[in-house]
Amino acid sequence: MSDSNESKTTAIHEDLVAAIPYAAYLDLRIEQADEAQARIYRMPYRDELIGSPRLPALHGGTVASLLELAMQFEVLIAEAQTRIPYPVDFSIDYWRSAAAADCLCRCRLIRSGRRIAQVQAECWQDDPDRPIAFARADFLLRAVEGDNPAE
Amino acid sequence: MYEQLDKRDPAIRAEIAARFNGGIPYNQAIGLRVVDVAGERIVTALDYRECFLGDPGAGLWHTSVGLAAADSTCGLAVFLALPGLETIATLDLRMDYLRPAVAEQGLWIEAECYHVTRCVGFVRATLHQGERERAVSLCTAAFMRTGRQLKP
Repeated sequence: MSDSNESKTTAIHEDLVAAIPYAAYLDLRIEQADEAQARIYRMPYRDELIGSPRLPALHGGTVASLLELAMQFEVLIAEAQTRIPYPVDFSIDYWRSAAAADCLCRCRLIRSGRRIAQVQAECWQDDPDRPIAFARADFLLRAVEGDNPAE
Repeated sequence: MYEQLDKRDPAIRAEIAARFNGGIPYNQAIGLRVVDVAGERIVTALDYRECFLGDPGAGLWHTSVGLAAADSTCGLAVFLALPGLETIATLDLRMDYLRPAVAEQGLWIEAECYHVTRCVGFVRATLHQGERERAVSLCTAAFMRTGRQLKP
């Protein structure tokens, strides 16, 4: 791993996080060492993300939020969407409890059609080979006018 | 002895729910409130906050806020459905996003633990903004009974 070489958060990525208030609230970081590398989404640890003070462990909902937001950003960036794609559905498997530390996430855009993008994501803390959660989601692409489910 | 807690008693259920919710820092951070735990279908709520937005231009909540609140509320429903006081952990959870939640309005989460086995509690939830029939999202989840008894 090239962890000594800190991956950088670009200005464009900071703007994306700032555009989604809940992503900004979780202080999400989008890190990418260079164009050829996969984007890493980071949720920096802070005390209020705790779900179980006894263990201690992060709240599962914060891990799920990171995974859903990461997949949303991945579709937004990879598919060059001009508007934020809305999730149609989402599901998560919790594999291990999340320690009181930063969470990192990597996404795989499995398929992107005309209207729907299908994505998977994995989350880990110390070791990418010991993932703590796996999620999948479908997103509605909004390149087509009149596709806004809010309407 | 805690096995003898009468979890059908609304006052005891309210006390358990208040302690459960109060002991979870993230629930406190986002301001999750316990609204009604007297019956099997329990209700919690989040008041609207600007930092919950996902699409400020369109004035819509981010789906992940409801997702986190659903996890907590489903957990509380399972915790109240188990005979004693024992630790649980979310095994998996699924959300279906039927329509977006609109800004300036609160979000209610109604959860029901509909089946408990020796190891697992099954739960479903409906998220809405005041009209249950117009659900914002639906949730199903399974929780593992991790086996440790808690002291009240």
